[in-house]
Amino acid sequence: METKLLLPNYYKKIGLVVLLISTALWIYISLSGNDQLIPETNFFAVVNADAAGKSKYFTIDKLNLTYTLIGYLFITGSLLIAFAREKTKDEYIMKLRLSSFQWAVLVNYLLLLLLFLFVYGLDFITVMIYNMFTTIILFMVRFNYLLLKNKLADEK
Amino acid sequence: MKNNIKVERAIMNITQEELAKAVSVTRQTINAMEKNKYVPSTVLALKIARLFGKQVEAIFILEDSD
Repeated sequence: METKLLLPNYYKKIGLVVLLISTALWIYISLSGNDQLIPETNFFAVVNADAAGKSKYFTIDKLNLTYTLIGYLFITGSLLIAFAREKTKDEYIMKLRLSSFQWAVLVNYLLLLLLFLFVYGLDFITVMIYNMFTTIILFMVRFNYLLLKNKLADEK
Repeated sequence: MKNNIKVERAIMNITQEELAKAVSVTRQTINAMEKNKYVPSTVLALKIARLFGKQVEAIFILEDSD
C-alpha cells in the first residue's frame, strides 16, 4: 500500500517555510504595487508577448522575474508539503490522502463553475491566477483537517 | 463488511495500541476498522488473522450489502 511518490517527513517543514516566504512576497507586492522585487533581467523565453501583444518565440529579453520567483516558490512549497510523508504512515492515512486529492479536485472545479458564471471581464484573469493554486491549497487543508479530526476522535 | 477485531482483541486481552504495533499500522487504523469506517487491505487483513491465529473469514465477515 505504500506509494513511492512520497518524500521524507522533514520536507513538510521545508515546504512550509518556502510557502510562507512566497505568500509574504505575494502580499507585499499586492499591497505595495511594486512588482519588481528583482530588477528586469535578460532571460530566455520560449514565448513572450511584446507591449503590442504580439508573441515572440525563443528570445532573450528583459523580463520581470518577480512573478516567476513567487510562482516557483509557492508551487514547490505546496508540493513539498503535499507530498511529504506523515510521521506515522499506514494504509488508512494513505486512504485519507487519496480521498483528500479527490475531494480537492471536485471542490476546485465546483468553485470554478460558480466563478465562470459570476465573474466576467478582466476580473476573470484574477480568478484564473488564483485557480492555478487552489487545487493544491484545498488538498492541504482537507488532508490536514481529516488527520486532525481523526486524531481528535481517537483521543476521545 | 463487518469484523470482530474488538472481540478477538478482548479474547487476547490486548489494546488497540498493541494490536496496531503488532501489525505495523497506526492506532487510528485499528480504531477506524473497529468502527467499520475502514475496510483494510488484504495484506492487513491477513496479518491480523495470523496474529489472532484464525482464518481471515473468522474475523472479517461479508454483509448482504457487499
